[in-house]
Amino acid sequence: MTMTSILKKVAMALSGLAMLGFLVMHLAGNFLLLKSAKAFNDYSAMLHSTGVLLYVAEAGLVLFFLVHVVSGVRVSRENRKARQTQYAVKATAGQATLFSRTMALSGLIILVFVPVHIAMFKFGNAGGGGGLWGLVMREFSQPLTAAWYVLAMLAVGMHLSHGVGSAFQTLGILKPTWRKPLRQAGVLLGWALALGFASIPVWALMQAQKV
Amino acid sequence: MKFTLKLWRQKGRTEPGAFETRVVEGVSEDMSFLEMLDKMNNEIEAAKDGVEPFAFDSDCREGICGTCSMVIGGRPHGPGELSTTCQIYMREFKDGETITVEPFRAAAFPVLRDSVVDRSAFDRIIGAGGYVSTNTGGAPDANALPISKADAELAMDAAQCIGCGACVAVCKNASAMLFTSAKVSHLVSLPQGKVERTPRVLAMVKQMDQEGFGNCTNEGECEAVCPKGISISHIARMNREYVRAKLFGA
Ligand code: HEM
Ligand code: FES
Repeated sequence: MTMTSILKKVAMALSGLAMLGFLVMHLAGNFLLLKSAKAFNDYSAMLHSTGVLLYVAEAGLVLFFLVHVVSGVRVSRENRKARQTQYAVKATAGQATLFSRTMALSGLIILVFVPVHIAMFKFGNAGGGGGLWGLVMREFSQPLTAAWYVLAMLAVGMHLSHGVGSAFQTLGILKPTWRKPLRQAGVLLGWALALGFASIPVWALMQAQKV
Repeated sequence: MKFTLKLWRQKGRTEPGAFETRVVEGVSEDMSFLEMLDKMNNEIEAAKDGVEPFAFDSDCREGICGTCSMVIGGRPHGPGELSTTCQIYMREFKDGETITVEPFRAAAFPVLRDSVVDRSAFDRIIGAGGYVSTNTGGAPDANALPISKADAELAMDAAQCIGCGACVAVCKNASAMLFTSAKVSHLVSLPQGKVERTPRVLAMVKQMDQEGFGNCTNEGECEAVCPKGISISHIARMNREYVRAKLFGA
């Protein structure tokens, strides 16, 4: 299907914001890990008890993910084609940021991360002691796994620090006076999420070192 | 003042290009950048050694036509804020500095010669719908059509676009969204332009894509170099106009 430049970006913005909404809920749920094994496992059981609803939500997330990645790849390829010759003197006019320049890279890290993550925790063996909580704690007791998680979450922070503000602009949130606050709120939210997620493997690793 | 210029030299559209280094001496700090190039070209011609003068575009030389396209030291139109190349003066550079001059780089703006590029893609975007074709009658009474101050200001801000192409030149995606959105936003702010708002935005965006401009990634580099200070809020507005046209157009 061919889509115009604006429609591709709107699709990315909508799917990106939908995934952002998921991340907020996901992090809130994950913080139950810190509370107790029971709280976390009960939460997991509660989600599974919703049955078909859970499948619908998961299907939605897969769809958003695919739409976002496919559009992202197409947008990036078209953009490279539109500027084939680079300038000899490379400079920015001051508004680009390191993270706005590396959206494809941070996105790529997330693209690798997500399947690995799902294989590890959704399809991992939660049958050992402590149920799902135990699985998470066992995985994160390995320093390399924990480090990889922190790295991937940095990529999430990078991606969202440009992405959230970008999405509002793409969706035409009009009032010029809102633009800067929305952008700043996006940076804040992005890094808050990233650091929140990253804190969990760090905490779990510290717990494992204690015993 | 004395400058070392690194100039992009390219004989034609399909020829390969390369940088040529030239030293220009005896430059007054009150010369504009284009006058400095004129001086250099006069010297090239006087030397009669078969070297062609450096080709560059210019017309009004007072910042209103948008013709003077070039990238100076990595920035379209050079160092100044809110200015075109013809409004840059040599006092803004350091004596003895090396200055690199490149053409606007975009697949949709092919290089014709040296720093001169073909910007007719912009004309075709305007041709696709950047006008009002409804009959609006003779000149009306000044206040017969009330337009709010806010709308009038918005339309005037957008209408300042001189079509210079600096927005495309600076964008890492060579996107023409700022240019296209300025026209869309200008016309949709006014009652005469509202009539054709749906076909206009659809046709102009389609043409913009067909010309091979890139997609906007909302960095805002374009508004930073726009000699007329056009804001990327117009891009947000065009995005909304476009979605509106797709959903409720017909
Ligand atoms: C899976 C791998 C991913 C890839 C390859 C990817 C790639 C991209 C690319 C190339 C862009 C456009 C760059 C720009 O606007 O400057 C983008 C934008 C964006 N991404 Fe991602 N992304 C991925 C995952 C995610 C995830 C998981 C989220 C949300 C939690 C997300 C949220 C966003 C948002 C909100 C935008 C801005 C939308 C816009 O205005 O275009 N991305 N992404
Ligand atoms: S020559 Fe007209 S704007 Fe520079």
